[in-house]
Formats: sequence, structure tokens, C-alpha cells
Amino acid sequence: MNDLLRGAAQAVQLLFSGDRELYAIILRTLSISLSATLVAMLIGVPLGYGLARGRFPGRTLLLGAVNTGMGIPPVVVGLMVWLLLTRSGPLGGLGLIYTKQAMLLAQVVIATPLVIGFTAASIQALPPQLPDLLTSLGAGRLRRLWILSGEARLGFLAAIMAAFGAIVSEVGASMAVGGNLRGSTRVLTTAIVTETGRGNVPVALALGMMLLALSFMVNLVLTVVQQRRRS
Amino acid sequence: MEILVEGLRFARDRRPVLDIPALRIASGGVTAIFGPNGSGKTTLLRLIAGLERADAGTIRIGPALVEPGPAAARAAAIAFQEPVFLRGTVRRNLDLAMRLRNVGHDERAERVAEVARECGIEVVLDRSAWKLSGGEARRAGLARVLALRAPVTLLDEPLAGIDRVARTHLLDDLPRLLARFATTTVLVTHDREEAFRLADDLVILTGGTIRAAGPKAPLYASPPDVDTAELLGYTVLFPPGGPVAVPPGGLRLGEGEVGFDLAVERTIDMGNHLHLLGTIAGRRADLRLPSGSAPPMAGTIVRVFAASRVALPR
Repeated sequence: MNDLLRGAAQAVQLLFSGDRELYAIILRTLSISLSATLVAMLIGVPLGYGLARGRFPGRTLLLGAVNTGMGIPPVVVGLMVWLLLTRSGPLGGLGLIYTKQAMLLAQVVIATPLVIGFTAASIQALPPQLPDLLTSLGAGRLRRLWILSGEARLGFLAAIMAAFGAIVSEVGASMAVGGNLRGSTRVLTTAIVTETGRGNVPVALALGMMLLALSFMVNLVLTVVQQRRRS
Repeated sequence: MEILVEGLRFARDRRPVLDIPALRIASGGVTAIFGPNGSGKTTLLRLIAGLERADAGTIRIGPALVEPGPAAARAAAIAFQEPVFLRGTVRRNLDLAMRLRNVGHDERAERVAEVARECGIEVVLDRSAWKLSGGEARRAGLARVLALRAPVTLLDEPLAGIDRVARTHLLDDLPRLLARFATTTVLVTHDREEAFRLADDLVILTGGTIRAAGPKAPLYASPPDVDTAELLGYTVLFPPGGPVAVPPGGLRLGEGEVGFDLAVERTIDMGNHLHLLGTIAGRRADLRLPSGSAPPMAGTIVRVFAASRVALPR
């Protein structure tokens, strides 16, 4: 308990110490994970919609795969992306290994199944006759999609929160493909691992609390949006 | 507008659902598509609404061919059996439906006010459409389709799934509402009372084919076949002279011109009369006895006769 209190005190102290490196880490963490969330939404929402509304062979299999993907360990994703991007790997020529782009890619891979899963679930939760109703009223394909998305927006916000929450807190993939390079790919989670390894437990704890606070702030904004739209 | 169906065939998963060589639904009245569950009634309605694609044949509303898919200028508007709403208030749902049909802003507000007043949903207009009771949801769904004032209004089981009191009230109100807001109405029902109380014309559908169609009175007076007669509520019996259709209450205890042996199964005291249930040559039959009369014992055989009856073609 004492350690926790000391960690909290140190977190506040660190935050206002004007430590440029710390600010850079926080900004980097936010920009990578928010970008990855955005990309995952762009990929995952249409796929989730198609999976929810489509009727094609292999659909159940695909849904099963997505549901598995929602729980995939980040370190496994990290390993796969590392094998892909490493110098001798199939995409090694791109020179992306140990860059922010590599971390972004890995986080997109982690977040996309979550977005697909949440989107599919929220679309499927809509009354099944809704598309027919809109068609009969004369709504074209795009209009229908727009209105249905509006109906499912609580689910979309849940998807954003789940995706962002998962990738901002993961450490395995960021470590594997980012390399935790000081000043370029170190993010909050990998910094915590580093500080803990060095025996700097109070600093690690302080960083952990910052991560929590960051995650809380982003989720709070989304929750406010979600609950306001609801009423 | 008149609806003309020609050579219509529709199958689902290779199982034939509808086969209608020709059907004409007159303009300006209320037509009930009447038949048992699974007879293809809803499918026919969805085809007219342009929500399904026929395997063969055409449907015309007025001069225009019904093409599946969305069309803002569509002649038909449909209310599904389960009223389904978007998030938000009843008012928003009514408004959005008209907006999708390109009704102007001011007119939408006027129509909402009018239809809500007539349908008795003014008090729930600003309530969430997802929090309505069964009866309120029915009326709100009805108000939404009526507000569109489409040339053809399609209602799928407009009274299904609501409690008895709400149903009675809505059944009373519907003819007035349809007369005011709808021009040509096609409704689907499996309920005889609804069909007779709401419709001018009946289309009798069993197993995906039309058994009879036309104004209800002549259809009821002389059913064209045994199945139709049974659907219309007759008890069909087979005395030596050929099949006869006996209307409800047409059987009497005693000897008469066309007599039968009724095997008594049980007697139910309905309060103001006794309801005698049994079989005649294996077919279900029933008759009413005055309250207080001594009913025949279950298991006995009594003589009954058809006091009123309609001869059916063999």
C-alpha cells in the first residue's frame, strides 16, 4: 500500500517535472494506439457489418475465427509481425522493423478482430426486420447503411473502447516489433518493463499509473459521448 | 390503385411457396388475404411491397411494374407483423419514414399530428418507440404506415400479438382509419373475424395457391370448395347427397332433413349456453344447447340435423 502511495506521489511529481522524455513517451503511446484504433475501425467496421448481415458459406467459421482473434495474445501477434518484418523476412526490405510503423501494424492486427467482433454483435443486436423496413420506405443502400450505423453506434463506441484499451495496454507486441528503443519506439508499457528491470519500481509504478490515467481519460470521453447519445 | 399479379411463382430454398397464375386486387377497397399459417400470405404481401424477388411472373401496381429494392416513389407501403422501430421517439420514427418518402418538412409535422390524433397515440408521440406496450406499438406502427398515405397500404396481421382489449379497440378503429388514410388496402390475416370485419374482398390462400377470390358476401354464401368452406368457418359434412357446409350454430339436436350421428366428446358450460363438442363420421362438429338443458353424456351418440346448410360442389 505504501509503495502504491509513493508511486502515485512520484507519478504526479514526474508528470510535472518537465521531463521531455516522459512527455515524448506519453505522446508516442497515444499517437500509435489512437492511429491503430482508427485504422482498425476503418478495416473492422465494414467487415463486421458484412459478417453480421451477409449470408455466405463459411460465415460461421469466419465468425469463430474473429472471436478467437479477439482473445489472441499480443505477444503472439508481435512474433508473427516480427517474422514478417524482420530483415530476412518477406517484408524485411521495407525496413520497418523496430519502428513506430511496425508497432502500429502489430496493434492494428490486435485491434481489428475486436472491432469486427463488436461491430458484428451490435449489428446483429438490431431488430432483424430493420433493413426491410428501411428498404420498404425507399432508403437506398448507402442511406440504409448510414441509418443502421446510427442505430448501432453504441456498439461502435464500445468497439473503440475495447480496441484502444487492448492495444494501449499491450506490451508483448510493442516490445517484439518496436524493440523498446529509447527516444523512438519506447512507449509507456515497454518503459514500465524497462524501469522494473532496472529496479526502479517507484518509477515503473508511476508510469503504470499514468497509463491507467491516460486510458481512463480516453474512455471517459468515449463514455460521455456514448451515454449522451443514448438519451 | 389496382394490383395485378400474373404468372407469379416464388420458391424459398427450392421449396415452392407461391404459385399464382392470375390475381386482380381491386382499386380503392380493403382486400384480406386470408389463409392458414404457412400458406404464403406474408410472402405475397412482401412481393407486392417489393421486398422479395419473384422467380417468375409480374406484379403491377397501377401501370407500374413492382421492382424489388428501394424506391422512394414506391406505390406500396407495408407494416410488418412485428412493429419495428428505430431508436428514438415515436415522433422521430414517423417523421423519418415520411422523410425517406420525400415528404416535405411542414407537411410531415401536419401529418404526424393528424395521424397521431386519429390513431390515438398522441400521448406516446414523444416517448421512446422501444418502450411502448404491445398495443401502443401496434398503433404506432399503423400510424407510421398510414402517415405515408401510399396509394397501396399493406398490413401484415395488423392485430396480431396484442391483448384482447387492445385488439377489440383497434378492430373497431381500423375501418375508420383505413377509410381516412388509405386508398387501397391489402391486409393479411389468418383470423376469420378480422377478415370479415375489415375487408370488402377476400383472397383465400392455402398452400401457396389461391382457392377463391372476390367480394366476401357471395364467397361466404357459396364457398367454391371444401377447404374454402372450412376456412370460412363452416363445418363440412358428407351426407349421401353430397358435401354440405354447415355454418356455426347450424346444427340442431333432433331429426331433420339432413341428419347425422354425432359422437359426443364433451360439453362445456359457457355460462349463457352449453357447447357440445363431438365428431360426425370422424370430422369435428359442435353445437350449442340452451343453458340449463340436460346435456347428452360423453361417449353417447345423438341424432343431429343441419338446420341451415350450403351444398358444396362434389
